[in-house]
Amino acid sequence: MNSINNSYIERPRYLCSLGGALSTLEALPETIPVMHCASGCAGSIAWAQNGGSALQVGGHCGGLTVPSSNVGERDVVFGGTDRLTEQLKNTLEIMEGRLYVIITGCVTEIIGDDIRAVAAEFESGDYAIVAANTGGFKGNSYLGYDIVLTSIVNQYVKKAASKKKKSVNILGIVPYMDVFWRGNLKGVRRLLEKLGLEVNTFFTDEDSLDGLKNSSEAELNIVLSDVYGHETAKAYEETHGVPYITATLPIGPTASAELLNAVCGALCLEADVDAIVGAENKRYYRCLELLSDTYNDIDLQKFAVIIGDVNYAVAVTRFLLDDFGWIPVLTQFTDVLDGERQEHIAGKLKAPAPLNGPKVVFDTNASEVVRYINELYPKRESDKYAETIAPAFVIGSSLDRAAALKIGAPHLSVSFPVSNRAVLSRGYTGFDGGLTLIEDLLSAAVAMR
Amino acid sequence: MPGKIKQIAVYGKGGIGKSTTTSNISAALSKLGFKVMQFGCDPKSDSTNTLRGGQYIPTVLDTLREKTNVKATDVIFEGYNGIYCVEAGGPSPGVGCAGRGIITAVELFKQQKAFEKLDLDYVIYDVLGDVVCGGFAVPIREGIAEHVFTVSSADFMAIYAANNLFKGIAKYSHSGGALLGGIIANSINQPYAKHIVDDFAEKTKTKIMQYVPRSVTVTQSELQGKTTIEAAPDSEQAAVYMELADRIAKHEVSATPSPLEISELREWAASWANQLIALETGALTSQAQGI
Repeated sequence: MNSINNSYIERPRYLCSLGGALSTLEALPETIPVMHCASGCAGSIAWAQNGGSALQVGGHCGGLTVPSSNVGERDVVFGGTDRLTEQLKNTLEIMEGRLYVIITGCVTEIIGDDIRAVAAEFESGDYAIVAANTGGFKGNSYLGYDIVLTSIVNQYVKKAASKKKKSVNILGIVPYMDVFWRGNLKGVRRLLEKLGLEVNTFFTDEDSLDGLKNSSEAELNIVLSDVYGHETAKAYEETHGVPYITATLPIGPTASAELLNAVCGALCLEADVDAIVGAENKRYYRCLELLSDTYNDIDLQKFAVIIGDVNYAVAVTRFLLDDFGWIPVLTQFTDVLDGERQEHIAGKLKAPAPLNGPKVVFDTNASEVVRYINELYPKRESDKYAETIAPAFVIGSSLDRAAALKIGAPHLSVSFPVSNRAVLSRGYTGFDGGLTLIEDLLSAAVAMR
Repeated sequence: MPGKIKQIAVYGKGGIGKSTTTSNISAALSKLGFKVMQFGCDPKSDSTNTLRGGQYIPTVLDTLREKTNVKATDVIFEGYNGIYCVEAGGPSPGVGCAGRGIITAVELFKQQKAFEKLDLDYVIYDVLGDVVCGGFAVPIREGIAEHVFTVSSADFMAIYAANNLFKGIAKYSHSGGALLGGIIANSINQPYAKHIVDDFAEKTKTKIMQYVPRSVTVTQSELQGKTTIEAAPDSEQAAVYMELADRIAKHEVSATPSPLEISELREWAASWANQLIALETGALTSQAQGI
């Protein structure tokens, strides 16, 4: 197993923590981010999003129009809080919002500017100001999502007088880093609404800032990731007493049914999950029925190589194993994960014989994927009839197109960066999301006809 | 050395007598006929006070705070015997980045070639002794000072600070940074104090440039806002500083020190502590004068 510090630095598959914090805020309704960082940060983040978030970039108060203190050398030497105060004052005058969130970059974090003190100066009943220490060096954009949400949970979310029955919050789907975030959040909502729940997803057009403000009323937080959103869930638990469960991003029937059962169990609901799953499965397989003959006739079953962040690598591999019937041979995780997490996550991809599940590797350098494939299918000159990976399919990010070309396989980008697709409302979660993913996979497989 | 400016950095633990020593070296060098600039690199900005009759001068960073473009000549002030005085300055305590402030101030002078234009013989940087970050190491990095002298007493904390400085010098020595000229042993009045600094110099493979005794003359001079060289030129203490300046003027080759590892330093300090206790209790009397 390789980690980030051996060999070389490849094209990154995430932004810095400031980038993750900014894109998270851009997705929140009625929220204005105020960056406290050097002038290049916003630009770099905007262009990284532009190239990676399936053409979703900017929007109101995002991208290159985000308020930023743009600190210079003088601010570094003497402290940048005066500049931030000025920027915040101007932003409050010009940009209409209800929640303003100060987020820091590396420079202002290193010099230790007291952004909480600046936020406190502007306290008002008309709006709220949150300060989050997101200095880019702290980690990647997934961590930035957690830092900024944790700050909001601790500084903005209201203490609930009582719990609201059957109300849940969804965490772990990181806006823009998951380019299908809108669709995925909506898919999860539709799914859980079948249990009669009120589902708070924070970021979609059906959500409101009040939903976030009152989110401590929830009975349960559901973290749809093995890594992302956990810190936020812990903050909810410690500050507001909201417990949480963790589940895989539910793509397709099996994972969706598992989620329904897990949530039903955690909330001690009396819902008939079997009936719900039965009805959904019926719908799902009625759709899929149309495909089944062709699937066999024109050889649409593939050996799959999956390369992605922890959410997609787990969810897509499980979907192929449990529902779709493709054979995952290799799953490569591109996150930086410690040994304990690696072991836990690798354990989720096991399957009974003869499939046994894919070879699992943890390597941030996805260009290594071809080497791993060659290890699985060793070639010797004397092997006249060598086993090869065919027909194959690569599911990863746009960066993995090259590997797909090398092994002569079609390719679909689902994990960040996605630069060869335009995504607005599409999503892969729930029963319907499984069908959407099948459409996309097979469309890519037959695209050259 | 015609045409070549000799750039020197003086480091040492806070309160050890760095600015006093540096100002007296500057004053003494100027009396020896050299053109000298003293560059205070400490946010306290009081390095050059005794060269200016006790007056504070506007700092580079204060001036930068007011204006975007600062000319080096705006922040150079003449002091005793034509010595050019500069204070880098820094942010208010607890905010901003003082280290970056030092970098900014030194770079401003470098970019404007201020030293060359003044046809200086010596630039002496008086730097906050605890090299807490890269900013305070700027004078010893490539292209700035060539020789570093450290002011240290026999106090163990001062020696710890000197040892840390040696580590910094050793680190930058591979990339063209300044090398160590030697230790200026300050407040050395007792024989055991001399033994301690001598022993430390030997262990770290450096030398003692001068033993400067603690003297009331220095205090009296400073109370008048003057260096000892200016206020009491004929005193014994002034002679000590004149001799030190002369040695610095003649000093040509500095070297990479061999700093002690932290465990070695602790053992070394502990062995001295035992010896001092033995002296105090009378178990060891050979050289126990003054204890």
